[in-house]
Amino acid sequence: MAYPTLVPSSRTFTAGDYPYKSFKSQNGSETRILYGDKRTGMTLDLGYENIADTAADDFITHYDETKGGFSVFTLPDEFRTGWGGDSGAIDAATGNKWRYDGPPQIASVRPGISNVTVKLVGVL
Amino acid sequence: MAKVYTGRDGRLLIDGTEQIKVTNWSLTGNLEVLETTTLGDSQRTYTPGVQEFNGNATLLYYNDGTGRNDAATALKNVLKIAGVSDTDTVDLRLRLVEGNTNHDVQLTAYITSVSFAASVGEVSRADITFQATGALTAVTI
Repeated sequence: MAYPTLVPSSRTFTAGDYPYKSFKSQNGSETRILYGDKRTGMTLDLGYENIADTAADDFITHYDETKGGFSVFTLPDEFRTGWGGDSGAIDAATGNKWRYDGPPQIASVRPGISNVTVKLVGVL
Repeated sequence: MAKVYTGRDGRLLIDGTEQIKVTNWSLTGNLEVLETTTLGDSQRTYTPGVQEFNGNATLLYYNDGTGRNDAATALKNVLKIAGVSDTDTVDLRLRLVEGNTNHDVQLTAYITSVSFAASVGEVSRADITFQATGALTAVTI
């Protein structure tokens, strides 16, 4: 199955960075070498609050299908619901796809209802 | 027939026994709601969570002619030397009477606090608060 098409209740995106290395000389001046022209390493934390357990287990199913953090995938449009800016700005940048940065966490709230937290990282 | 209920219609039963000299009782029901609002929503949405019921009552510290003292019995649910155990629940029935018809809320509860004092110029009374455990047993209001 694809990543669940639920609308998250919270979303935190960090933009990652370009691969470069900086060298600092003894007089304090810095030299940087750029190793690539694609931004990578962006992270996305998604929270799904008070969803049915039957929806929460879809995240585990998907996590199994991607062999945890091994395989990469794209996200459905629902993940950016409520975002009014450029749709690509908070997605994996060009050349990147998402993979799990850790296992989905499921916190049971009451019988049949759970909170799910997912951490993703963009990789080239 | 139209009917306005007052304190005259109120009764309190503990473990099936109508308490004597009750001056008031109150019951509060709460429903915790869980927010289901998602990104993009303009109004908050909720789903029902867990319910709870609690309340309080006041009984005069009163010995009837037979030595019965309901306030003392209630107080002993908390003021115990041996401590309170799981089985120290009481069956509470909060009742409004209309002729031969009883409007009841029945619940199983722990007496969670008692307040007992003697003051010059005042009748000694026991204020008790209770916390229901589990669902309401019966509702006939």
